[in-house]
Amino acid sequence: MNYQEFAWKNLTRRPVRTLLTAGGVALAVAVAVSLGGFNLGYKRAIAGSIEQLGFQIMVMAKGCPYEAATMMLKGGTGLLYLPEEAHAQMKSDPDIEAITPIFIGIAEKQGSSISDEAPSASSFSIVSGVDVASFQVMKPWLTFKRGAGYDGGRWFAPSATNELVMGFEAAEYEQRKVGDTFYMSVTPNGKIDAELHAFQVVGVLERSGSQDDGTVFLPLRTAQRLFGREEMLTIIGIKLREFNGIRMREFEGRWLKIPEVQVVSLEQVKGALVSLVGTAQTMVAAVAVIAVIVAVIGVINAILMSVYERIGEIGIMKAVGASGAQVFRLVWTETLLLCLAGAAAGCLLAAVGSGVTDAALRHLLNIGVSQSLVRITPGLLCGAITGALALGLLAGVWPARRAASLRPVEAIRSNE
Amino acid sequence: MTNNLIISGRGLCRYYRRGSETVKALDGVDIDVRAGESVCVLGPSGSGKTTLINLLSALDAPTAGTLTIDGRRVDGLAERELVNIRRGTLGYVFQQFHLIPTLTVAENVALPLLFLGRTADSGELTRVLEAVGLSERATHLPRELSGGQMQRVAIGRALIARPRVLIADEPTGNLDRQTGDAVFELFLNAVRRDGVALVLTTHNLTLAARCDRTVTLADGRVTPDA
Repeated sequence: MNYQEFAWKNLTRRPVRTLLTAGGVALAVAVAVSLGGFNLGYKRAIAGSIEQLGFQIMVMAKGCPYEAATMMLKGGTGLLYLPEEAHAQMKSDPDIEAITPIFIGIAEKQGSSISDEAPSASSFSIVSGVDVASFQVMKPWLTFKRGAGYDGGRWFAPSATNELVMGFEAAEYEQRKVGDTFYMSVTPNGKIDAELHAFQVVGVLERSGSQDDGTVFLPLRTAQRLFGREEMLTIIGIKLREFNGIRMREFEGRWLKIPEVQVVSLEQVKGALVSLVGTAQTMVAAVAVIAVIVAVIGVINAILMSVYERIGEIGIMKAVGASGAQVFRLVWTETLLLCLAGAAAGCLLAAVGSGVTDAALRHLLNIGVSQSLVRITPGLLCGAITGALALGLLAGVWPARRAASLRPVEAIRSNE
Repeated sequence: MTNNLIISGRGLCRYYRRGSETVKALDGVDIDVRAGESVCVLGPSGSGKTTLINLLSALDAPTAGTLTIDGRRVDGLAERELVNIRRGTLGYVFQQFHLIPTLTVAENVALPLLFLGRTADSGELTRVLEAVGLSERATHLPRELSGGQMQRVAIGRALIARPRVLIADEPTGNLDRQTGDAVFELFLNAVRRDGVALVLTTHNLTLAARCDRTVTLADGRVTPDA
């Protein structure tokens, strides 16, 4: 038998108390790990999602740029429209490497194979009208899904009126393959009644991990006509030859002259989103700190109670040769084992529950990034366990000192 | 015999404060114990037997007087220094057994070795368990044992580190006569076989008569007929 075995046996003497205390530690560690994972994940997720938009600058109708950017990230509508003429004017700018016009609208799905219930959010499709040639330059990573039912996938012709391409998730959800028909109802601008349209699916995109996965793509002109907004755009995506603060300001200065148009750098959007998340992060950190303090108090209380219950035994141990340092070591080991068990359970809880945490944060923050907001790494887990052990070392000092300082005669007498 | 002297106490006093009153639990006791000798401390309740035993086992320090254990002066030593005297030199057996309830018989017996930084080799443990008649019960927990068996475990625990002195405070007090006799025999075996010194307290005069010598206490002093 060694100190670890002895300490473990002492902990199992009161299993409910040990479980509850370790549970408190586990909860605190789970919160701390989730927070750490959030800290690691959200910046990367925001950066990744913005990166997958493919452009550095958005030109859009005046309004809240961050709301518009968030809507873009989430794949929603831009709400406001700008004249297509702006695109024609801007594309001659010498600093532009690539430029693509995008029209976004929402159509009601018809005869969805998944649900025949009353219209709900899931009954709508996000429709993106794109100019294929410039869109591909902006997003060269987009490829078509292969395999049975998907072979032969391609982009539609620019003038096609009844062809569409589906994003990976949109096709999965609607159970559509290449050659299938997809029905959409669209209410054109200025009209009351929706018009039903049938399209042939000519291609299904591979998963990209971005908002494109849930989008239905139409030719730009077709989308504008369907929604009754000819020569209108939702955004213009732009990639500059050289992107930095100076170039951005110069570009912005040149094009702010167009009325009703604003130029937004996605770096600014990223900064704003990170800052928005930072506030929530501070709140969660405060909860984590409180959880850790409560857990530490719980550990001190449990070990102290355990020491008081075993005063007689500690006296016996001293009588049979245990020094104060050895008693201290034993009680300290109990504290460390308790914290280690709690930390391991907390790490497991955080790792297993990271999906739930991610969904909860996504719901809470609603910033529309496609990648996971919580990134739990081995380094983070090791850090959490090390931190829990360090707190265990601190928490164990008082009870262990109390036990070590007991005088054997008095301790034994207290037990008789 | 002087060369075999292992405990020597002169003018041992142990006073306690109880409010404004000073209680003289032990008041000037002289005692010598030699290796291979069994000494029984007799006396009525409150006579100072347990106090004397606590001093001789280095669990407590005398208020006055000198005490030498195995050639080392222990009076005036701090607790951390008394530990070194107890380790390996003294084996202690209590009336209440005081086993660790979560440890098996074998683990309870081997406990002093943990504090000596040693692990019990199987031969050593087997020897002690056989000596106290608990070979078959090595993996049992204390709650699965009878009173006599628990006291045997306590004796095994006291013997495992091969002490020079075995000290027992009313070791048969909680046992029936037959079991008490058997347990007492274990003590005498240790004296005869291993040459350890035995100091014990008891109310049982029959058992006391089987010891080499008796010391009778009354009101914290050794009575003249000792």
